[in-house]
Amino acid sequence: MREQFRSDMYEVQDDVVDIMRELLNTTKLAVNALIKGDEVLAQEIIDDDDRFDQLTLGVEDRVIELIATQFPVARDLRFLQSMAFIAMYQERMADYCTTIARAARRSANKEVPQTLVDLIKAQANLVYRVMDATREALEERDLELALKLPELDEPVDSLNKQFYRELGRLTDEEEMEAASKMVMSARALERIADYCIDTGERLSYFLTGERALLEAAEQDIETKVI
Amino acid sequence: MSTSTHQTKYSTQLQTDPLVTTYYVRDLEFWYGDFNALTNISLDVMPSAITAFIGPSGCGKSTFLRCMNRMNDLIPDTKVGGKMLLKGADIYSSGVDPVDLRRRVGMIFQQPNPFPQSIYDNVAYGPRLQGVKKKSDLDDIVEDSLKRANLWKEVSGILDKNGLAISGGQQQRLCIARVLAVQPEVLLMDEPCSAIDPTSVQKIEDLMAEIKDEVTIIIVTHNMQQAARVSDYTSFFLQEVAGEPAVLVESGKTSDIFTAPIDKRTEDYITGRFG
Repeated sequence: MREQFRSDMYEVQDDVVDIMRELLNTTKLAVNALIKGDEVLAQEIIDDDDRFDQLTLGVEDRVIELIATQFPVARDLRFLQSMAFIAMYQERMADYCTTIARAARRSANKEVPQTLVDLIKAQANLVYRVMDATREALEERDLELALKLPELDEPVDSLNKQFYRELGRLTDEEEMEAASKMVMSARALERIADYCIDTGERLSYFLTGERALLEAAEQDIETKVI
Repeated sequence: MSTSTHQTKYSTQLQTDPLVTTYYVRDLEFWYGDFNALTNISLDVMPSAITAFIGPSGCGKSTFLRCMNRMNDLIPDTKVGGKMLLKGADIYSSGVDPVDLRRRVGMIFQQPNPFPQSIYDNVAYGPRLQGVKKKSDLDDIVEDSLKRANLWKEVSGILDKNGLAISGGQQQRLCIARVLAVQPEVLLMDEPCSAIDPTSVQKIEDLMAEIKDEVTIIIVTHNMQQAARVSDYTSFFLQEVAGEPAVLVESGKTSDIFTAPIDKRTEDYITGRFG
């Protein structure tokens, strides 16, 4: 048994799970900053982005090091490759948190229609659910849960469309500007959820060695929805 | 002395305090007669770590390894220059007893070389020389050493069997147990896995990781993958021109050497472009 190598791989997984947990926390803070118009909190989130860059880069460096020194094959190789991709997705998710925080900073002290605030709250709650399920799937190496992520993501997409309809109803210029920041944030939330699905795809590839599996599952889900 | 202008590249800076190192080597030279085999070798070997020496055949890595416990003293007409400190003390100073040094710095060779005695007596040999007489003490040392060498489970019921009657891989682990029984501070391994079966290789690599906190390990290996897998630090030796002395091209953390080596020759060697 290559005990040291195995424990090194588990450390990489722990790091990725921790980052996912922190991302969920930061997303919640960003949405709160947006809803409450909290400029100070928004700035803190923006400043925190460098830390996520370092954390995800740390995962990538560790993966490269293990590939270079441990010559992984099969499941081990798929695991390391998946972790590197997932770290990259996480870096992008952190960027989208910054996008929401920037929108919060710009729309602070501006009147935002309550319907849009309610919509973003509803959408955010769905995204938190997808993020938490992604974290759990990663932590437990849970294939079934990974395959269920597209299903959880489905309502996020439909809520996102509703945003544009609401935006179209607005007439007041100033209200429209504040509302467009909300739409931008809704789009960022939707992208975060998409990266969670991508994470699930990578996890599924690691666990099964087959890429087609999740695509097939996705198709199933699509047919069901239709 | 040497006319070499060679500059070794280091991904981790050389220490200024010899006492933080296990080996503190500076400007080491080595001659077989008139032939200057190694020149300008400066290197730190850090404690509680595994250091691998890699390089093509004839690059001087085994010669250098044998300088570390004065095994080359046994070859007539050889000469050492420069500094080789073990935990701050010069191992080539006149007061040093080479036999005592080799107790502190154990060695494992490419071919397993157990004594033609029982497994038990092989392991008990060193402690007996050191004056351990009580049977129960010897029993403990034998069991503990065989456990640390990852061999206990396979031989606990056949301790009186001849050491030469077990497989090559088991013999090699028996030799490791024999060295560990005298509690060395350093373990030098010269191609320890090139003549044995893969399962034993795995067991040896595992035991290396397990004991490295207590015993500083230095391994010479032709198997680059093994160097990458097991070691914390790697040093790359090279003799570029036949007849010229070999040099230390690059030394540093294994993770650095195998992801982003500084010297192009290191990169060429580890990516299989020569050697």
